[in-house]
Amino acid sequence: MPRAMIMTGVTTMMTEAAVVLGPKGQALYWHLPPNRNTVALPDSPTLWEFYWKNREIMVGQAHSHPGYGWPGPSYEDITTYDACERGLGKRYTWWIASMDRLVTVTWDGPGSTDYRVDRVTEEPSWVEELRRLSQQPTSDEERQS
Amino acid sequence: MIQAHEAMVNVTYNGQNFELPDPVNYTAGDGDIKAWVSEAIRTGSIRGVAADPNVDLANFVVDRFDAPADPAPGQRSHNAVFLRPKTAYGLV
Repeated sequence: MPRAMIMTGVTTMMTEAAVVLGPKGQALYWHLPPNRNTVALPDSPTLWEFYWKNREIMVGQAHSHPGYGWPGPSYEDITTYDACERGLGKRYTWWIASMDRLVTVTWDGPGSTDYRVDRVTEEPSWVEELRRLSQQPTSDEERQS
Repeated sequence: MIQAHEAMVNVTYNGQNFELPDPVNYTAGDGDIKAWVSEAIRTGSIRGVAADPNVDLANFVVDRFDAPADPAPGQRSHNAVFLRPKTAYGLV
């Protein structure tokens, strides 16, 4: 049985969430906007501002997808990765977590939307918190670690 | 002097933040603003900004900020347009 099911008893992910990550794998910023929902994290000037101010220290961002199994990036995800890397002038690692699996997405070229998906077998510590926040239908905050 | 119907355009691209040298009409469409900025980046016509023949702003968004009614000293007194990457994730 997937770990998240054992811990919470919740069988479905209720809302997407994201976290910006620092060089030691620490959470720099939890992105929990009030308009997030089951299938989307809408565009956010606040999130962009955080990326810009922390572009030199952040190593990437993770967001959650609903459900179980190996996740993959959507077209929306890929075009956002491409746009952000164009804007920030650097390449980053983009994680996607389902309720029981985690992958990284990184640019592999040569085309602008040629991103590679790799499965992660040893999960970092922030993943469980991301999953927990994805099960909470909060309408509250974007909080900074 | 920037007129009431105009705006300065601030751009974030390739790790740089800069303004177009001349104001644009504040009511200009997003497509027009992206086209003007693309042309400026492609041709390297902005001082200090390296030319990029492959510039692609298709997935950038335009934020607009009205001039404050009563700006404090040192505060922006004109309309502003910011062009930045989108940050949307998900299936929609």
